[in-house]
Amino acid sequence: MVTVDRTRGHRVFRVVNTIVLTVVVLVTLYPFVNIVARSLSDEFAIRAGKVNLVPVGFTFRTYEYVASDPTFWTNYRNTVVYTVVATAIAMVMTTCYAYVLSKKHLKGRTVLIGIAVFTMFFTGGLIPNYILISSLGLKDSIWAIVLPNAISVFNLLVMKAFFEGLPVELEEAAAIDGMSTYGILFRIVLPLSKAVLATMVLFYAVSFWNSWFAAFLYMSQNDLFPVTVYLRNLIAGATTGTSVGADATDMTVATNIKSVTMVLTVIPILVVYPFVQRYFVKGVMLGAVKG
Amino acid sequence: MHEINRRQAMVAVGAFLALAACSTDGDSGGDSGGAKQSGDGFAANRDGAMADYGVGKTFKAAAPLTFSILYNNHPFYPIKNDWLFWSELTKRTNVTLEPNVVPLSDYENKRSLMIGAGDAPLIIPKTYPGQETPFVASGSVLPVSDYLDLMPNFKEKIAKWNLQADLDTLRQADGRFYLLPGLHEDYWTDYTLVVRSDILDKLGLEIPQTWDDVHNMLKAMKAEYPDSYPYSDRWGIPTPGGAMLNQVFGLGSGVRGGWGFTTGITWDTNAQKFAFTGAMDQYKQMLQFLHTLVEEKLLDPESFTQQDDQAIQKLASGKSFVISGNAQTLVNEYRPPLKKANPKAKLIKIPVPIGPQGPVKADANDSRLENGIMISKKARDSKNFVAMMQFIDWLWYSDEGQLFAKWGIEGTTYTKDASGKYQLAKDVDFVGLNPGAPKHLQKDFGFSNGVFAYGGSTELLQSTFSEEEIEWQKTMNARQALPPHPPSPLNDEEREQAALWQTPLKDHANQNTLEFILGKRSFDEWDAYVKELEAKNMTSYVNLVNSAYERYKKEHG
Repeated sequence: MVTVDRTRGHRVFRVVNTIVLTVVVLVTLYPFVNIVARSLSDEFAIRAGKVNLVPVGFTFRTYEYVASDPTFWTNYRNTVVYTVVATAIAMVMTTCYAYVLSKKHLKGRTVLIGIAVFTMFFTGGLIPNYILISSLGLKDSIWAIVLPNAISVFNLLVMKAFFEGLPVELEEAAAIDGMSTYGILFRIVLPLSKAVLATMVLFYAVSFWNSWFAAFLYMSQNDLFPVTVYLRNLIAGATTGTSVGADATDMTVATNIKSVTMVLTVIPILVVYPFVQRYFVKGVMLGAVKG
Repeated sequence: MHEINRRQAMVAVGAFLALAACSTDGDSGGDSGGAKQSGDGFAANRDGAMADYGVGKTFKAAAPLTFSILYNNHPFYPIKNDWLFWSELTKRTNVTLEPNVVPLSDYENKRSLMIGAGDAPLIIPKTYPGQETPFVASGSVLPVSDYLDLMPNFKEKIAKWNLQADLDTLRQADGRFYLLPGLHEDYWTDYTLVVRSDILDKLGLEIPQTWDDVHNMLKAMKAEYPDSYPYSDRWGIPTPGGAMLNQVFGLGSGVRGGWGFTTGITWDTNAQKFAFTGAMDQYKQMLQFLHTLVEEKLLDPESFTQQDDQAIQKLASGKSFVISGNAQTLVNEYRPPLKKANPKAKLIKIPVPIGPQGPVKADANDSRLENGIMISKKARDSKNFVAMMQFIDWLWYSDEGQLFAKWGIEGTTYTKDASGKYQLAKDVDFVGLNPGAPKHLQKDFGFSNGVFAYGGSTELLQSTFSEEEIEWQKTMNARQALPPHPPSPLNDEEREQAALWQTPLKDHANQNTLEFILGKRSFDEWDAYVKELEAKNMTSYVNLVNSAYERYKKEHG
């Protein structure tokens, strides 16, 4: 008997597949390794173009230098705080909204969905948003970052689809046993939804960790910015400066300092990813099948 | 997803800019302030002001005042609240500045946003000439030209340094200007070719003075090192030939490409009218010269596409010997890696090569104006308006204020010897003057900050220059100054129309500039290329500008 594994076509596929994926892995990994190597290298070696995959003139001095900048740590702490608070709020809001929407017998359900979906296609625009946040007095506070983005409609719909996939019988049984609506949500539905919850936490956390635009818009003090704004200024700022022919007294920031900052900013997400990944695949799939 | 990515954000900001240019706050803009000012309309705005403020007087507010300011946060010296600059400023002037911190990377976007939302701070610095134009129509920034009587130091510098013609380039269609520019006493040329002088010595060559000298020098280098491209340039991204076409060869040719291309219009001194840069004979001459260099394999074709770092690497590793640069890049970016790779190598700035225009000098933007300050319209209604204008006049335009912003406090950050030479304090470093010192003038004290310290007298400007740079400046200053171009302000409607024409014209000119230089298009096709520009409304555009120039001359001439 010829199994799928043995056919000629399949063998070719596997070889090609392996090659293609290896190339993709290399292409993806190379910048990472390069940045890490630069962060551990001597500045002049980088300028002379000697640093590729292995650090040249190995040194931790740049790490010490970046770590000695109090602004960097203040901004880093902000990122952590913003991410944790924003993710917590987003999870509560999104879960509640999605659960409600998953109930087919709810009156006005289409309207509620419509309201959410509407925002996917139309937004108020930049200036009106800015004026709104200003008038609400949220500027220069954490709320300007965590509240406006509390519900991502995409995540909401994925969750709704997931909840719809849970057997109604479970909830009916709980109701017959005298459990309240909230009891059903907290003790029956959520424990069964760990996969999708983990996925959503990951989605939200990554997007809040990486976001800089809201903070850039609504914050006006250096010690309120997240580390992404710090990083962006370091990288984009230096290039903008020279491209308009900046003053001669303006200096560019050394490449190794940029690299260190990048490495330190990326590490937490990189470390968390593998642990959440197993939920990640499962969670998205479960939502999608029912979609 | 709900998050806004960078591109969407930029598009949104761009779209807003266009909107901001259209919207007006009706009649409240216009004339309310200026016209009536001669009868002293400031009775309600004099709180805290000095009655006897004038040139040579230190501004000190009668009562403690606070002014909000948009602050461009430079990554090299991020803002600190405990800078000596802030406390000393308050001590001297009784004014506390309240900075609204914006990262340098996105300063222009945030500035547009805040002005558009009516939420801008009173003082809006770091605005380059021309950048104020989109805000004029909305009436959200103050026509500062109406209030110069409050600024004695500013007026004195304009008169003393003969800057009236330069200032006129800022005027809008209503004859007023909306930006308080930084002022230079003399033209300040900075970008030029940086050359390996040890190779010159080895080959027995003089320092090249003209385009032809440069050509000969490169040929000699090529003869000695046949495998090299002697000239490999940087600043190719995102504007190809950014410095090369703007100043290094642009200055000698009399037209500005690269960074200086901007609206694509050049004042033709001979014809006494404006012309489209990309179609001018002078521009063609420059491209032909550069094409010769490419054809003879003297100029690296990658000069227009490579990253800056790659160009510097070629220089450091001895694969090239010539690159564009300025005083700062020479010291900070070129010499250290080259020294490490080859201790015997020497690099110098050569005088900007003299081209068909003869020995001329000019600033990067052809006038002696620097970036400067816009003032929010709402400041006019403040009871401290007069005090604020006096404060701005003192800090940015008085000799004392400029010295303070640049060098700090005598005895603490610097000393001045009998001959008038400035010396940094021993424990303070700045632009490599005191390498290894524990403190930094910008990072730890907040002086020489790009937001507050720029422009000024040649003496002050050159006080931080090295000996060799001062020598270089002397050579350049001996040259003939080109007069600034006359004003040709467009009205709102024309500006919108011009904006529609500019982009396709600029794109086409830029693209063909490269093709001509690299030899992908022959100069036989120059006429065809000009025709293509015609098809993109070049003539209509140039006529529009020229008619605006004529109109302005008639109305305000």
